[in-house]
Amino acid sequence: MDRVMFRRLGLGLALVWLVFCLFPLWWVLVTAFKPPAAVSGGATYIPFVDFKPTLQAFKDAFSGVRGDFAGPIFASITISVISTGLAVFLGAMAAYALVRFEFRIRLLAGLAFGVLSIGGFAVLNQGIGLSVPQSLGLVLVIALPTAIWLNGCNLPGPVLGNDDVTFWFISQRMFPPIVSAFALFLLYAEMNKAGVRLLDSFPGLVAAYTAFGLPFAVWLMRDFFANVPVEVEEAAMVDNIGRMRIFFQIVLPMSKPGLIATSMIVLAFIWNEFLFALLLTSSKWQTLPILMAGQNSSRGDEWWAISVAALISIIPMIAVAIFLGRMMRSGFLAGSIK
Amino acid sequence: MSQIPQLDRVKYAFIFPAFLLVLTITLFPLIYALVVSFQTIRIVPPVPAKFVGFDNYVEILGSARFWGSIQVTAMIVLISVAIQYVLGFALALALHHNVPGASLYRVSFLLPMFLAPVSVALIARMLFHPVLGPVNEFFTMFGLENLPFLTSPNFAIATLITVEIWQWTPFVVLLMLAGLQGLPTEVFEAARVDSISAWRRFRDLTFPMLLPLSVAVVFIRLIEGFKIIDTVFVLTGGGPGTSTETLTLFAYNEGFKKFNIGMTSALSFLFLIVVILFGTIYLAVAQRMIRRYQ
Repeated sequence: MDRVMFRRLGLGLALVWLVFCLFPLWWVLVTAFKPPAAVSGGATYIPFVDFKPTLQAFKDAFSGVRGDFAGPIFASITISVISTGLAVFLGAMAAYALVRFEFRIRLLAGLAFGVLSIGGFAVLNQGIGLSVPQSLGLVLVIALPTAIWLNGCNLPGPVLGNDDVTFWFISQRMFPPIVSAFALFLLYAEMNKAGVRLLDSFPGLVAAYTAFGLPFAVWLMRDFFANVPVEVEEAAMVDNIGRMRIFFQIVLPMSKPGLIATSMIVLAFIWNEFLFALLLTSSKWQTLPILMAGQNSSRGDEWWAISVAALISIIPMIAVAIFLGRMMRSGFLAGSIK
Repeated sequence: MSQIPQLDRVKYAFIFPAFLLVLTITLFPLIYALVVSFQTIRIVPPVPAKFVGFDNYVEILGSARFWGSIQVTAMIVLISVAIQYVLGFALALALHHNVPGASLYRVSFLLPMFLAPVSVALIARMLFHPVLGPVNEFFTMFGLENLPFLTSPNFAIATLITVEIWQWTPFVVLLMLAGLQGLPTEVFEAARVDSISAWRRFRDLTFPMLLPLSVAVVFIRLIEGFKIIDTVFVLTGGGPGTSTETLTLFAYNEGFKKFNIGMTSALSFLFLIVVILFGTIYLAVAQRMIRRYQ
C-alpha cells in the first residue's frame, strides 16, 4: 500500500518541480515577443490570448539599435570554443598520463618549489627591483628545474602518487575564483604596462579560460580513459609504436564519446563564466554574460529587450543540456562519481 | 602497470603542457597577489606601493562589512544547499523508480544548471518584480500585494536562495540519480522479498549506501556556492545597502570601485582561508558521520 502512496508522492513532486523548473523559461520565451503594453500592464502569459506577439525586440537587437550584440556574441563564441578545445586536449593528455603511468612526486621537492618561488619572487621584485613579469618568469625558470632535480634525489618524507596529482589539478577549482581571477588581473595589468597586451585581449582570455576548464577536463577524461581496454595499447606497444602515436591514433578515437561529453560540459562552464570576464575585459572582448549584466541597469523595464538577450545566451546551452540528457540515459556519467 | 624505464619518460610530455599552464595562469599570479596583499597600492589615485605588513588583514578582520558578507554568504549557501540536497535526492528517487513520464523530466530537470547565472538572475528580476511580475500576481491571490522581493534585506536573501535552489538542485538530481543507478539491485530485491517497508528500505539501505556520495555532492555544492557573485551582482547588486553582499562581491567592490588592490588581495586570501576552514570542518564532521553509519 505504501508503495502506491510513495509513487503518488513521487509523481506529485516531479510534476510540481517540472512546473517550477520550466515556468521561468516559458516566461523569458514569451516575454521576448511581447509589445511594451503587455509588460507595463502587469503579468501576461499566453501569446495571442493575453497579448499580440511581435518580433520587434529581435529586430532591434540584431540591427544594433540597442547596442552592440554582435561583438559580444562573436567574442563569446570564439573564446569559449577555442578555450574548450585547448582545455579538453591538454586535459585529455594529462588524464591519459595519470591513468597509464605512475608519477612519484616527493612532498619535499614540491615544498621546495613553493618556497623558492615565493621567496625568489620577493627578492627579485622587491629587493633587486625587477618588474613583475620578469621576476615571475625568472623564478619559474630557476625553481622548476631545481624542483625536478630535487625530485630525482633520494629525499626523505612522504611521496605523492597519481591520486595526489589528480587532486592537485582538481583543487584548482576548489578555491574561490576571485583569488585567482584577481591575481591574474594584477599580472595582466603588469604585462600591459610592459607592452604585452593581455587585459581585454583574445590570447589573455583564452589562456585564462583554458586554465579554468582544464581541471574539469582532467577529472572527467580520467574516468573515460580508465575504461578504455588496455589490451589494444599493449598490442600496439609490442609492435613498437610510440606512445604518442598510440594516444593520438588509437586512444583518442576510441574515447570519442567521452571527449564530446567532456567538451560539452567544459563549454557550458566557459560560456556561462562571469567573474573572469568581468575582471579581465573592458570593452573589446566583452563576453555575453558581461553584456547581460549590463542590460539590467541600462534597460530598466524594457523586458522584451532583456528577454531577447537572455534567450541568445540560453539557447546554445539548452541544446547542450538536451544532448547531455540523452547521453545520461545511456548511463555514461555513472563513472565520474567514483 | 609495468613500464620499460626508457619509455616512461614520455609521460612528462603528456602531463607537462597542462601542468605548466595551471602553474603560470593559476598559481604564479597568486605569488604576486600575496606580495601585494602586504602593501598599500592604489591605482586611482595612484599611490606608490608601500609595505604595511599585516595592516590590510587586520583592517579587514576588524571591518563589520567583512563579517556581514561572510554571514550573508554562509546563510545563502547553507540554506540553499540543504534544500537542494533534500529536494534533489527526493527527485532522484522519483526518477529512479520511473514515475510516469520520467524521460520527459530528465532533460527538463537538467536544464537550469546549464544556463548562465547572469541570465537566470535577469529572468528572476522580471519574475520577482514587485508590481509587474508573475510572482507578485501569485502572492496577490493570497492578499499579499507588492512584496518587496528585492528591496528588503530578508526578502532579497530569500529570493536569492530561491534562485540558487532553482538553478542547482539539478546538479544534486544528476549525481544522486547516477548513484542510485549504481547500487546493487540484489540487496533491494532481497529486502522486498522480506517485505520490508519502503521507508525502512530507504533508511536502512539506500541512504547509508549513498552517504559517501551525498557527502561529496554537498561538499561540491558548498564550495561552489561560496563563490556566488553573478546572481547577486545582477539581482540585488548587494543591496539594499550591503545586506546581500557576498564575499566575492565584497572583494570585487573593494578592488574595482575603490581601486584598493592591496586590500582586495588580502581579502581574497582571507576568503581562501575561510573556504579551507569550512571545508576541513565539513569533511571532518562528514567522515565521522560516515563511520558511525558503517
